[in-house]
Amino acid sequence: MQFVPVFIGVTLLLFAMRAIVPGDPIRMIAGEKSIPETTYRIIVERNHLDQPIYIQYGYYMGDLFHGDFGHSYQKGRDVIEIFADKFPSTASLALGAILIEIVVGISAGVISAVKKYSFIDMLLTLSTSILVSMPVFWLGMLLQSIFGIWLKNLTGGAISLPISGSGGPISAYPTFLHYILPSVTLASVSLAFTARIMRSQLLEVLSQDYIRTAYAKGLSKRDVILKHALKNAMIPVITFIGIDFGTMMSGAILTESVFSWPGVGREIYLAIIQRDWPIVMGGVVIIVIIVMTINLLIDISYALFDPRIRYGSKKAD
Amino acid sequence: MAKVLPDIFIDSNLPAYEHLLELDNLKVYFDTQDGIVKAVDGVSFTLNAGQTLGVVGESGSGKSVTAMSILGLVPMPPGRFADGDIRFKGQSLLAMKDKDMQVIRGNHIAMIFQDPLSSLNPVYRVGKQVGEGLVIHRGLTATQAVAKAVELLDMVGIPNPEQRVRDYPHQFSGGMRQRAMIAMALACEPEILIADEPTTALDVTIQAQIIELMQELQKKHGTAIIMITHDLGVVADMADNILVMYAGKPVEYGTTNQIFYSPLHPYTWGLMRSIPKRTLDNDQPLTPIKGNPPSLIDLPAGCAFSERCPYVQQHCRDEEPMMRLVSDDHYSSCFFSHDGEFLLNSPIYDTTEEVAAGALDTGTLADAGALDTGTLADTGELADADDSNYQSGGRDG
Repeated sequence: MQFVPVFIGVTLLLFAMRAIVPGDPIRMIAGEKSIPETTYRIIVERNHLDQPIYIQYGYYMGDLFHGDFGHSYQKGRDVIEIFADKFPSTASLALGAILIEIVVGISAGVISAVKKYSFIDMLLTLSTSILVSMPVFWLGMLLQSIFGIWLKNLTGGAISLPISGSGGPISAYPTFLHYILPSVTLASVSLAFTARIMRSQLLEVLSQDYIRTAYAKGLSKRDVILKHALKNAMIPVITFIGIDFGTMMSGAILTESVFSWPGVGREIYLAIIQRDWPIVMGGVVIIVIIVMTINLLIDISYALFDPRIRYGSKKAD
Repeated sequence: MAKVLPDIFIDSNLPAYEHLLELDNLKVYFDTQDGIVKAVDGVSFTLNAGQTLGVVGESGSGKSVTAMSILGLVPMPPGRFADGDIRFKGQSLLAMKDKDMQVIRGNHIAMIFQDPLSSLNPVYRVGKQVGEGLVIHRGLTATQAVAKAVELLDMVGIPNPEQRVRDYPHQFSGGMRQRAMIAMALACEPEILIADEPTTALDVTIQAQIIELMQELQKKHGTAIIMITHDLGVVADMADNILVMYAGKPVEYGTTNQIFYSPLHPYTWGLMRSIPKRTLDNDQPLTPIKGNPPSLIDLPAGCAFSERCPYVQQHCRDEEPMMRLVSDDHYSSCFFSHDGEFLLNSPIYDTTEEVAAGALDTGTLADAGALDTGTLADTGELADADDSNYQSGGRDG
């Protein structure tokens, strides 16, 4: 039940920030043009923007309590509707990225640990170090210029990966190929972290006594690692990947912006620029809900990996 | 599912062999940054079916590495076999491929370890772990293996095995965990069970129970046991032969009777003096061995024990003593083991039972009668061929 205090804290913080950030959201609706004063007053009153900030907060929380996430200033649509539109893009991108992270990150970590101090271990350690220290937006742009422009020009268009936003119409439902570069970009940093956590955890587990027991039983090295070591080494990895998945599901603002990906993160980014507060607020509220739900699921999944963590277990010992 | 490797140890396929297990001048060295650690340096012994060998020594004397070497569990590198051989049924284990070693491990030679909690995998049920060997070596399905695990847990005296088989290791008590380890080790009915300090992590009363259990199961299945311990009391009651190790080297080897009634090496004497004795007055302190074991990288030039030996002579510091035969099948590496007057320094215990009782202080072992003359007389047989094992040049003394 940590949900309630976190929720109140986040919404309060958002209201405080919106009070500080300059720019009049209503005037921005019209862009360069000006709005007639009467129209302006009507919109301001309708959105309670003439009230003190704490009254506004009260209104907002009251609406939220009734399941009303508010109404966009700019788009004239319900916030919940806008995110329902954008969420599938974000979720599918997150899914792609998390798959890459799990498969590549865990395998790289396992290989590193098993071939400790070998050439391949050092190669993997070096590449993960580089990945970790690489800013996501920069990696995204780099990949775009290599695969979308440089290789394309070099091969006369024979080799190129379509990138949404790099010219041409963006289809509403990107094809499989469109996912490659954004997912790789989104997965990159976390993948490197996953590999490092996996390596250190597995090394730690491999020095345990029960691994010696498993060898003494006559298990092959492969079985010892896959059956006895991996399950014990998984918990910190699961924690990291889970939290990361929560972050990705709530929209990767940098990656989505670089690739003009029509997802939650980009929507929030655009809304911040336009001071479209209901979208920012609603987006953050949805993110909080998603992240906290995923965290709960991670906690529950611990019990699958470690029987010593069983909630409300009947047998006390 | 489980691929069962062809059994390379079907007896009919083997050349004739003299001993079930032979260690022949085994040397296991570790290459470290500080130098070569000679963890095991020239250990030899033989073990026959159904016999028990006690390997005794302080921490760092190379007992455990010796045991791990037999199963090929020494991490290599940094470890390496510098010399010698280990033969199981006449076949060299050191020359064996890893695939074949996997057939040996758990199947022909099993091992139990010091700390049963850390030696059991915390995330799997006890039943699965106990039965796992049967899945690998006997091709049982997981369900069959768990059913067999129930029998095995029952055999080692765990109550309610049908329920307990579904428990996780953390739900077992210390003694029960070691029982489960024994059940796991005996699942495939191995010819040899190596027990590496199996009672050290347990309460004194539980220690006696575990030892009794091992003896009982040994009688039933005819398993040969290598009992590694720092506690002479543990092996007094159980072992046919005893090997005393110091700083990776063997210092004394003989039958249990010989080691306890006529110990030859000052180090063995020291071990005996540090066992609490019932008949001692309460105010009479134990006599510990002074100092610490030497660094295995930088051993003293002569006898490894010379720096701690109360009877050290200049000769001990100059020349490294080798194991040599002193009397019937009784070997010692001390230069003075032939000197009758020197041997008067030995602490003589009245009986081996007394040592066992003093060390465990439970009384159960003392009257268990396992060390009756019959058992010891039997051990005379094994030693016939032993003379060749210590082919040190120094039999002339």
